[in-house]
Parts: sequence; structure tokens; C-alpha cells
Amino acid sequence: MTEAVLEKPTLSPEAPGKWLDRGYEPLYELSWREVEELQLAALKLQFDKFSTSVAALEKLARREGVSRVDSLEDALPLLFDHRVYKSYPLALIEKRDIRKLNAWLGRLTTHDLSQVDLDGVTMVDQWLDRLDDFGMLIGHSSGTTGKLSFVPRSQVEFPAWQRSYYEGQRATTGVDPYTDKVETFFPGYRGGHQMMMKMLGLFNIPAAGGPEHYHTLYSGHISSDLLSLAARMQAAEDRGELEQLGLDPSLLKARDDLIAQGKRREQDIESWFFTLFEEFRGQRVKLGGSFGDLIKTARSGIAKGLKPEFGAGSFIMTGGGMKGLKDPPADWEGFVRDYFGIETIGMFYGMSEVMGMSPRCSQEHFHIMPHTIPLLFDRDMKLLPRKGSQTGRYAFFDLMAETYWGGFISGDQVTIYWEEDCACGWKGPRIGPEITRFHEMEGGDDKITCAGTAEAYNDFMQFVSGDA
Amino acid sequence: MSNDILQIPIVARGRIILPAEDDRVEYKGRGGADFASPDPHQHIHDLVLGNTALLADLNDMRMAAIIEFLDALGKRLWLDDNPWLQQSFDVALKAGGLAEPILRGVYDGLPGMFEGDAVAAQVEKTIGVRYLDGWVPGDAPYDNVRVRAVGTRQLHITAGNVPVVAGLTIIRGALTKSDILIKTPSNDPLTANAIARTMIELDASHPVVKHLAVAYWKGGDEFMDSQIVRTSRIDKITAWGGMSSVKHIQKFLSPGIDLTALNPKYSMSLIGAEALESETAMDEAALGIAVIVGFYNQTACANTRIVYVESETDDQSIDKLVQLGRKIIAAYPKLPEVISTAVEMPNKDLEAEMDAIVDEDDFYHVEGDTLTGGVVISKFSDRVDFYDKLSNRVVNIVPVSRLEEVVKWCDDTTQTVGVYPEAVRDRLLDGFALAGVQRMVPLAGGDPLQIFHDMHQLPPGMPHDGIEPLRRNVRWVIDQRPAAAHDLALSIAAE
Repeated sequence: MTEAVLEKPTLSPEAPGKWLDRGYEPLYELSWREVEELQLAALKLQFDKFSTSVAALEKLARREGVSRVDSLEDALPLLFDHRVYKSYPLALIEKRDIRKLNAWLGRLTTHDLSQVDLDGVTMVDQWLDRLDDFGMLIGHSSGTTGKLSFVPRSQVEFPAWQRSYYEGQRATTGVDPYTDKVETFFPGYRGGHQMMMKMLGLFNIPAAGGPEHYHTLYSGHISSDLLSLAARMQAAEDRGELEQLGLDPSLLKARDDLIAQGKRREQDIESWFFTLFEEFRGQRVKLGGSFGDLIKTARSGIAKGLKPEFGAGSFIMTGGGMKGLKDPPADWEGFVRDYFGIETIGMFYGMSEVMGMSPRCSQEHFHIMPHTIPLLFDRDMKLLPRKGSQTGRYAFFDLMAETYWGGFISGDQVTIYWEEDCACGWKGPRIGPEITRFHEMEGGDDKITCAGTAEAYNDFMQFVSGDA
Repeated sequence: MSNDILQIPIVARGRIILPAEDDRVEYKGRGGADFASPDPHQHIHDLVLGNTALLADLNDMRMAAIIEFLDALGKRLWLDDNPWLQQSFDVALKAGGLAEPILRGVYDGLPGMFEGDAVAAQVEKTIGVRYLDGWVPGDAPYDNVRVRAVGTRQLHITAGNVPVVAGLTIIRGALTKSDILIKTPSNDPLTANAIARTMIELDASHPVVKHLAVAYWKGGDEFMDSQIVRTSRIDKITAWGGMSSVKHIQKFLSPGIDLTALNPKYSMSLIGAEALESETAMDEAALGIAVIVGFYNQTACANTRIVYVESETDDQSIDKLVQLGRKIIAAYPKLPEVISTAVEMPNKDLEAEMDAIVDEDDFYHVEGDTLTGGVVISKFSDRVDFYDKLSNRVVNIVPVSRLEEVVKWCDDTTQTVGVYPEAVRDRLLDGFALAGVQRMVPLAGGDPLQIFHDMHQLPPGMPHDGIEPLRRNVRWVIDQRPAAAHDLALSIAAE
């Protein structure tokens, strides 16, 4: 272990958050095989620290009989499932028992959250604001499964997290957000505690050169209370008992506004983009939004005969989601490029639970940097060998985590290419463009049973939301 | 294309259509039970009845003859003597979720379902034989108006978790003198076929056989749905499994097609405070709960997934619930294996849910696992958030200060409610009925087989999930003739 440290004096197992300090380039010159020992040393340090200071890890390690980590295999039983970040009872949110919720979250971090001032806090939004004030940076999921998960990040991780985002952007687009400020556009909310919105707010505003250079479709936040209660509010409304839930009237109004906004969203995005085409004609810009947003805007722009002309060096940063889009064009990237007249489309592979971004290379693969230890599992939760190319369920240890446990198993199925032969020239294990949800069940998709199951419920939800 | 995989024919109107060189599709079945079938796209006209006049043969047949046929069929449905059933049993074992002794018990129940007296009572108690065999006049002075229950063309999208559904569907089809098409499920692709083939052996030309088709196609096959779900070809659809089976066909539904959705159910039990007052009462309640949770290894809609117990939430009260939970887990291995067994495969998804809360001592107490069964005790008055994933004999015990509060968690999806002790039943019954509950069953007695029997034994012709499927699946036709002459004269005179 010390050997690796000696060989690469800038990469200390004590501080994975500083590994990007000299930029992404030196990291992509390293083979993962060269940093394996370094990574293990960092993981070991993390375990030693968090197994006594993060209550949730402490209990899991005790239950699994893991008292030390001498190999990657030792740590495999300690990967947190996504459920760990939402293992609180939903009733706490419904009853807005913020103290208990806060105590629950406290078990996931080294920070002593009992010191957070909760006086007068009755809403999730207020609670998360107070946590921000305290030095946390909690981001939550969008609650599509009916329950928010909370990732317990904090200001301690912020510099490394931001660096990972900025270096990731530089790697995938060539534009350095530290030095090269670009007018930035994002067709969504301006901030809030939902992880994606929080990240965009945290990173895009400085990268744009200040709040006046960051333009969003909506000026407000999306309420975390609303997201967390959406399903229950709908159920109560169906029973005609929405009033009886005892919710803050402002929340009910926020809900009405959101529903109205949701109905208008497509037109709003369109007119917003079209205004932006005019106002920033000839200027250099950075565009955000999902694939779906971009494609829809392009289609409607073509139909209306509207064509943007942005300045040279403009670029698009986009990410997953064809949601609600029928028949995306086969070469959607080419389609978007042609329409917007923007050559550079940058992309990351990442998720709320990991700080290390994996930027997309010229060959359309996502290269994993050394501060993330990637793992793949098969259906029986056996670790797949780290050689050749392997397809399985993606898991990782996020070595950048300094105040919480970074081991996580995702619900994504990916292919990792372990032989470092990418034509782009970057090393490191890389993830292929095909990323899907991991399904545990194999076989016919029309198994029918009379017993209620989550699957049936989800089918139903898709049905009512019109996605099915 | 391998030739040793299972060949599942389309059985249509007395004919057995096997897959052939140019008429063959392979499907991925459950648990490696892959199979090949003829291409259903080529057999639309074998499956549906476009011309309703062709129902005349069944319409003209006396119900007594139909019952006689079903009774004779039942005598041939013994697993030990019937090679078709043996084959379907093997496939269901591989593909479905039931252990061997339980599945055997389910199959052993088939002959009894077809037994003449039972089906005769079923049709008499629901539709009434005279309405099926002829026109029934009203009471005077409306004896000029007659009513008849006429057969329809039915599509049944059946559930596969318990193979009796296949038998039930064939019986209901025959008793409504209807033309029925059964779309089999991938988790039980063969039971309906096995019964249909046995029917062909019995009498391939019998009208009941001529009006039965059994086929498999993949859910979401738009071509099939668009061809079959037409007012010119189908009158009634019965869809088990709710949304998952309905969502594909819903876009083809139109007025004129009557849909009965036997949607997915979550069932529960209600336990009064009396159950915690003595060791004896706790033992009795625990055994009753173990039976209603454990029968068919919790794969059925009637299985309890959540147990609401009248209890406070202080430490002492929660300790009592933990004791009750331990007694439930201890009771599982004592259940006869024809009712319930330890399962072979863990439920990974549910185990992950249990793992995620096992250390949340403030909120939950977790014991057991998804192999031998387990309990999750809520330490506050709410069910676990993953209540819809509870299976493999894992049950959530939830304290409530009054059982009446539980109505807020009840709706149309709450099928069966186990009750203990009987003393609490009367004060709960009407409120829960209004909330959507479809059946309340007893848990007392202390003898597993007796409890199982008590919660399952119903007189013939009882409602199913709150509806009467037989009455619903016929067409009620009115024959209105001129009123009798004396009535006419009277009314004119009065004017």
C-alpha cells in the first residue's frame, strides 16, 4: 500500500478528494490496476473511520460480522442498498415529525445532527434549509417511487464534489468551468433540495459567472414537502379529504400551482427556448436539459420554422430521460446537433449517491475515475470478474465521501469494459452507452397473479400517468 | 430452435393444434420452463366466435346435460390418472410459486370442483337453471314479460398463481352456456390446456368442448388484442391480475364490451386486544394468523399481509407484539405441508427491504427471513412502506389503538380479512364492508386444517371479490309480448 503512495506521491489514500487537483488528465493516464492498492488503502481508511462514527454502517458491519477490511471482498456485504437512504417510516413525513426524521438521518453521517436547530420547523423544506445552514448539503430523490431518499452529503465534501463536476465537464466538453464562464440555460427549477436541482444550483451558478448568467425556466424551487407527499395527497384528494390532511395551506396552493405548471410545461419550455434563441442570438451559451426536452424543442422549432443561431464554442450538457417522448429519432444526437447548430454535446454517467462523475469520451463511453471503485454483480449477487467486458448490476465505493459511507449498490445495469483499450486514449474502466434498469426477475413479462404486488402497483401508476 | 422444449398446443373447439414447422413461436417461461406454441396470429378464427348464431347448440342444450358432462369430466381430473394434468403439474411446479405438496393439494381439489351436485348448486344459486334453459315469465300482471339468461362470448385473461383458476373459468363458462377463450398466463401455461384436452378425450363434439379455446400469447401483443377485443367477437372480458393484464387491452375496449377486473388484492387480519391477554389466547391467535398468512405460501389474494392488533405502542405493549410475532413464526413449521411449506428460494427484494430497516430499532422490530417466514413489527400505528412486497410468509404486525381505525387502510383492494377473536366481529363488520372489504373469515379454533377449512368452505354460488361473475357474464334478455287481452280491455274501459 505504501508503495502505491510512494509511486504516485500526489495521490494519498488519506485524501481521495484531492486526487483531481491536477486535473483529470493525469488520472486517465493511470491504469486501474495501478491504483487498485491505493484504492483499497483509501477504502480501508474509510471503513476504519466510519464503522465507528456512522451508526448505520456500524450496525450493518456488526450484523454482517465485518470488523476489518483487508480486501475489496471484505467490504462487499457493506454496500448500502438504495432503501437505506429511505428507511424511515413514511408516517414521519406525513406527521411532519421532523425531530425523528432528523435523528434517523443522523445515523447516516458523522455529523452530530442533534445539534441542528429545529425550533419551529414543521416542514421538510425548512428542515433541509436548516441542515444547509448547519453545513450539510442533503440532496433527495425525486420521489417517483412515493418516498424520498436522502443522501447525507455535507460542505466537507463540497470542494471535491464540485471539482469532480467541473473536471467532468472539462473532460467531456473541453470547457473549463473554473476559468471559462458561459451563459447557462436549464429548462427546469432554479434550485431546491432535490439532488439534481441542488447540484445544478451549486455548480452551474459559479460556472456561469454568477446568478445573473444562469437562466432557468422557473425562478422557484420545487417543494420537497410536495414531492414527499404527492402520492398521499393524491390519495386524500380522491377521497375528498385533502383538506383533512391538515397540511399548510401554502402547500396546497403550491400543489395546485405545480399541477397547473406541469400541464403548461411543454409550451413553457418551448416559448422559453424560443425567447432564448432570440435574446442570445450569436452569443456563446451552455444548454442543459434532458434528451427529451431537447428533442421536443427541436421538433417543435422545426415545425414552427424557428432556428437558433448560437455563437461558436456553445455546448450542450445533457443527461438521461426520454420520458414522455414518443419515437425518439434514431440518431437523436445528430438531430439535436443539427437543429441547435451546436457541435459539442457533453454527458456524464452519475447518480445522486456518487460524487465522482464519469464523463463521456469521444467514443461515447463513460470513464470511471480512480476515486470511484466500480463493481458489477450478477443476478445472484456474485461479484463479476474485473476483466474483459462484463454486464451486471452496478455498485461502487465512493472514496470521496468524507462524512458518510460511500458504498452503494445501484439499480442500474451497465456494461463495464475492464481492458483499457478505448480509442479515445483515456484509461480507467469504462461504462458502455447502454444503461438500463436492472431487473431481478427473468422470464415472461405477463406473469399474472391475483395477489397485490408492488409491480402491479407500479404498472398502475404508469398507466394513470399515461406512460404505459 | 430446440425440439425438446415443451410443446403447448392451442386447443380450440375440440381440435388440438400443435406447433408445426411454419407455425411455431417459442416463449421464455418462468423458472426455465420454456415452451413452444403454434403462432396465435395464424389462429385468430380458431380462437374467436364471430358468428353468434353458432352458440345455438349450447343454448339449446339442457343445463342438466352440461352438468352431467362437467361431472364426468371431474372424474377424469385426478392427477394420478391424468397424463395431461401430470404434465401441467410439472410445469406449474417449475414456473409457479407453489411448493410440491401445496400444488398437489390444489390439483387434488380439481375433481371436487367439477362434481355434479356442486356445479348444479352453483348455477341454481346464482343465475337459476330455468333462466338458462328457457324464458321465465314475470309475476302477474307482468306475465307477458319473460326473461332469459343467454350465453355470451367471453375472453378470460387468467391468473396463474393458483391453478384452480383454470378449472374455475371452464366451469363458469359452461354454466353460462358461453363461448370462452382462455388466455393462459406464463406462470401456469398448461393447466387449462390439460383440462381442455381431457374434455376432448371425453367427447370432442360436445357443445361445451366446441365452445372452449385455450391459447397463450404474450401480454401486450397488440395484434392479438386488436383482433380479439372487438365487439363483433367478444362480449365479456374477465381479467385477473388487474392493471398488469388490462393495461394492454384497455385501448381496444369500447362500449359493448363488459370488463370484469378481478384486480390485485391485499388482504389483512384484525386482532382484538383479547388476543394478548393470555398465553392461550395468544397461541390461538398466532396459529390462526400463521394459517391465513401461510396457506399457499402467501401467493394468493386472500393471504394476510398485514396484521392489525389492538395495542398501545409503549415498550411493554410492543414486547407483547414481539411475542405474538415469535409465536407466528414458530407456528409456520407446524402447518401441514399441504397448506404451507418453507420455500426454496429467498425473496431478494423483500429481504433487502427487511435488511434496510432491521437496524431501525426506533421504528421496527424484524425477525425471521423469506425462507422460513418472518415478522416485521411496527412500533407505531402504521404499516411498513413496503407492505405491497410482503410475501414468503413475512407479515407486518401493526399496533392500532382501535381496530375501527383500520378502515382508513381499506378499499376495493382489501379482499379477505381474518378476525380474532369472534367477539370483535360484529362491531367491525358493517364499517369494513362499506370501506370495500369483500370477505371476513374466522381465525379461531387452534387446529390448522380446521381453520383452513373454515376460511375456505363456502356454499356454492357465493360472490367473488364482491361481485357475482356468473350473473354478470350472461346477457339478460327480455321478451315482452302483448299484455293479456283482459288487462287491455280494463284499461280502455277506465278511460
